[in-house]
Amino acid sequence: MTHADKVHPEEIKNVEVLTLRLRKLKKEWEEAEPQVYVDDTLLFTESWKETEGLPVDIRWAKAFEKRLLECPLLIRNDEIIVGSLTKFIRGNGTLCAMKPHEILEMCESGRFARKTSDTESTKITPEDLKALKEDAEYWVEHMPRVSTVNAALEYDMGPGVFDLLFDRGCVFEGRGVRYKMDRGLFQNFSAYGGGVAQVSAQCIDNGLNHVIDLCKKERERMMAEGDDEHSHGSAQFLRKYWLLEACIISCEAFIKFAKRHADLAREMAEKESRPGRKAELIRIAEACERVPAEPPRNFFEAVQCVRLYHLVCWKESSDRPEVPVGRLDQLLYPYYKKDKEAGMVTPQDAAELLGALWLKIRECENLVTIPRSQRAAPGSLLPNITLCGVDKDGNDLTNEISWLVLEAMAQIKLSEPAIYIRYNPDMDEEFILHALRCNVRFGGGNPAFLNDKLGTERYLERGVPIEDASNWNASGCLGYHLDRMEHVGGGHNINQLKVLELALNNGFDPRTQKQLGPKTGDPREFNGIEQIMEAYYRQLEYFVPILHKVKMLSLCTEITDGPMSGLRCAMQYEDCIPSGLTPKEGGARYPEGRTSWLGSRGMVDLADTLAAIKKIVFDDKKVTMAEMLEACSKNWEGSESLHQLCLNAPKYGNDDDYVDSIYDELSTHVPEIMQRWIDPITGKKPMLFIGAAAGHVVIGQSIGALPNGRTAGSPTNDAACSVMPGMDVNGPTAAINSATKKAYAKEFVGYAMNMKFSKNVLNTDEKLKKMAWLIKAFMARQGWHIQFNIHSREELLDAQENPERHKNLLVRVGGYSAYFIDLPPELQNEIVQRSMHDRF
Amino acid sequence: MEGIVYNIQRYSIDDGPGVRTTVFLKGCPLSCLWCSNPESQNPLPEVTWRYTSCKKCGICVETCPLELIKLDEDGIHIDRKSCDRCGKCVEACVQEALQMSGKRMTVEEVYDVVKRDADYYKVSGGGLTCSGGELLMQADFVTELFKRCRGDEIHTCADTSGFGTKEAMEKVLVYTDLVYYDLKYIDSAEHKKNCGQSNELILSNLVLVVEKGIPMVIRVPLIPGYNDSDENLTAIAKTVAELDDGIPVNILPYHRYGENKYRMIDRKYQLEDVESPTEEELDKAKKIIESYGLKCEISK
Repeated sequence: MTHADKVHPEEIKNVEVLTLRLRKLKKEWEEAEPQVYVDDTLLFTESWKETEGLPVDIRWAKAFEKRLLECPLLIRNDEIIVGSLTKFIRGNGTLCAMKPHEILEMCESGRFARKTSDTESTKITPEDLKALKEDAEYWVEHMPRVSTVNAALEYDMGPGVFDLLFDRGCVFEGRGVRYKMDRGLFQNFSAYGGGVAQVSAQCIDNGLNHVIDLCKKERERMMAEGDDEHSHGSAQFLRKYWLLEACIISCEAFIKFAKRHADLAREMAEKESRPGRKAELIRIAEACERVPAEPPRNFFEAVQCVRLYHLVCWKESSDRPEVPVGRLDQLLYPYYKKDKEAGMVTPQDAAELLGALWLKIRECENLVTIPRSQRAAPGSLLPNITLCGVDKDGNDLTNEISWLVLEAMAQIKLSEPAIYIRYNPDMDEEFILHALRCNVRFGGGNPAFLNDKLGTERYLERGVPIEDASNWNASGCLGYHLDRMEHVGGGHNINQLKVLELALNNGFDPRTQKQLGPKTGDPREFNGIEQIMEAYYRQLEYFVPILHKVKMLSLCTEITDGPMSGLRCAMQYEDCIPSGLTPKEGGARYPEGRTSWLGSRGMVDLADTLAAIKKIVFDDKKVTMAEMLEACSKNWEGSESLHQLCLNAPKYGNDDDYVDSIYDELSTHVPEIMQRWIDPITGKKPMLFIGAAAGHVVIGQSIGALPNGRTAGSPTNDAACSVMPGMDVNGPTAAINSATKKAYAKEFVGYAMNMKFSKNVLNTDEKLKKMAWLIKAFMARQGWHIQFNIHSREELLDAQENPERHKNLLVRVGGYSAYFIDLPPELQNEIVQRSMHDRF
Repeated sequence: MEGIVYNIQRYSIDDGPGVRTTVFLKGCPLSCLWCSNPESQNPLPEVTWRYTSCKKCGICVETCPLELIKLDEDGIHIDRKSCDRCGKCVEACVQEALQMSGKRMTVEEVYDVVKRDADYYKVSGGGLTCSGGELLMQADFVTELFKRCRGDEIHTCADTSGFGTKEAMEKVLVYTDLVYYDLKYIDSAEHKKNCGQSNELILSNLVLVVEKGIPMVIRVPLIPGYNDSDENLTAIAKTVAELDDGIPVNILPYHRYGENKYRMIDRKYQLEDVESPTEEELDKAKKIIESYGLKCEISK
């Protein structure tokens, strides 16, 4: 890591990220009609047909190579950073080999979407539609392992297992898991793709020629001397041989892909009459001739190289391209510092280049199959950027690029990439204020702050040395991992609230009318909350081993499906080359993250439900357990006062020990149960996370009314340790206190705190400072992830319509604060108006 | 020791330095026409009616043992003179539209809430603010509460109108780290007319705070047409500057956010036609204050 020079905020505050050129490019993209892009999937299939009979690793690598060598290229007018996913200004990629059934459904329905909220289908020409349909049909027929997991599960666990556990929600299929509505007990079986590659700082810094060289040497060495890892003549020995070949093919294809861009740029330069633009095109050509084969020579080449890595990783990941950009400020700073000292680059130059990179990253879009998009954050493709952090010696690494990236975010105002700041208490307060100001200018929710110390400590606890442990970055929706040393795998979730619902019904599922869990006793005969909790724990104990087993059996697709291409393997060259294993198969330096995540959903609802039962049934004895369950089964119909009583019962997020003590017990006992069995894949204790993002809407659909006051089918709480919307009436410190009464974030990864504020709480530096202190205290209390949203106009309008859902919406004005819903309509209107116009 | 508290607001961001918890005490000897917390004036608990939540179901009418609640198309009306604050209607209201404003709490009960945010005070230099109502009406309670804070090194701020006896003020000041002191008028007759009391005590207590050397911020609510004349602002600036020109002055622009609260306690709002001061008016007021060498800020 390069030591950061002192930052001069005034230099940064005046930069113009969105220059005239970028404004034009942005507008053009925003106004372009989205098109379905089919060339890559057709090339993939063509290659697949050509390579019949070859080892699977080679087939994947060749298919990847063909796409990179033959896909159409696009350099848009006046672009300074190049590398487009498709030939369209706004194209949506796809790969039929990943999800043929769903693509076929799209072709047949004629509706193509990037997200569920799209009102119009993405456009496709009749010729492309025909070709895509044929392609999908080919893969429906040629995906050889369809139902492998299904068959294994049925064989091992008996017939009807899907009906019971997945509520018909989840159909394993070949290399993918197909979702219908994943609303059963278990969700998120990420068998497909099995994680993504990420932009790798070390690969950029060393150049891919270095990696190719290592692969070739290793192959020569193993042929000459044999292999320490695998005995001669074993299947693994042969596998390693082919895998190394796949790595070489993929890396060389990437280099050629860059060279194709160089050729195109030169060709365009020839024809270009404007001398300025000509020079730019030559600069692009020179960069793409150099990177990624060799290390970048300057800041511009480094930015161009990041773009190419992101694009190629995206293509390689195909179906689920959640490619993290990584620690962008750390990666770029050494190049920036060198150029700046040499007088070759100014903050303004850097700002424009970052803006250009930003637009290229945001441009990448894939067709999203509907069920997935219902779970994921709408349209989110998670190209996370991580900033700051401390090095192994404890030095704060915030630098000028960290400042500039935030400035870019605030000026560009596009939903992605999401920014994560690794927060440490020694950070410059001015930087935090800059981040918060950018948050307000952006419109809220970005950046998020992560606890630097906690992130590093989690790795240290797993025995990772400090040099590696301190190099983590944010990935996925709420995860994090180490660049080139860990595989970003998927997780497996248990719907904890559903488990409780089963416990409240003696193992019987009211929705499917089936006995899903063991008989843990009729709660009508229970005398105290302890018995209810015991029944819940016994249900959980029954399901966790089943979850592990499902996971293990689903591996038959994970492993046999090949490495996607050699690229991911090559990018983790220090470990995957000697071992001859892909990261997915355990070749990564720290393999336990790859499939052993166990997620819990609905923990907050769980605590609230137990607290309401304790309070209303056992402590206050307002109703009997039988009456409570009866009211729930009728979805509160005819029990409106009991429903209100339940809504008014103590709720998590208010610093109320009555419910927080229950949450606390759950947070101790649930991990103990979930980790009682070792993970069958890694042989280690599974790591735990709190499933969140947008899964709360779907899992809520399988659950009936419960004593926390929820109505049947409504969403559960939205993120890890956030409070149920409208339920935190004691303010942000109380909400944080509930979430950090103990160091829960040490047990669960993904422990995110989402807070909402009105704009007038954030309209002066003085008030932002108070927000900065909130972050500081949150982190000191061992919180993990916090972010601040701003009440949108829509929410304020909703609060006018449905005041009961917005009891906590505070409006503050000089020395006075009131709940929004208490204000007379005309004043409410005034605030709604202002919410649109307030500028920081 | 017990006090009557009508609200405890955590993460208060306008009531002093750092992150604070503000304890609002019930009861105020003044009755300023523009008061944005009218429920704070009566020293006893009282039932408030959140009309936005009320479904007009009439349960409260049936519940009231003294039959003091009436329901008509405007909503409910409570005969507040006869109400004995039994709270049965509040308990019966499932919509939580009826609430009891004001609760007897011991120093320990209040302090239990205050100390929950000690971590936030520590990183921000924040602490407890007692506001009102008028805290001097509950001077013993405030003194005890502040004393508990002093023991745990929690910063204390007294947000006062200054209307109280000298003894009460002296008592509170012993454990006070910062005073937020309201000044509305220098002219006593005007003060009496618009705030219900003359201001001699306020002005003499002001001198007392300065003499004790406790850091202070003067807060001037700026009410167009009432106390925003050049003459009054000049008098305020002059008074403060003569005492100590190092005392900062904050202007609190008038807003009507309290208006609805009058309806919640069956009272009529007096200033219906007054608008918030314009930027120009605020700027002008600021300039007058500053012309006496005082630091002046406008609260946003």
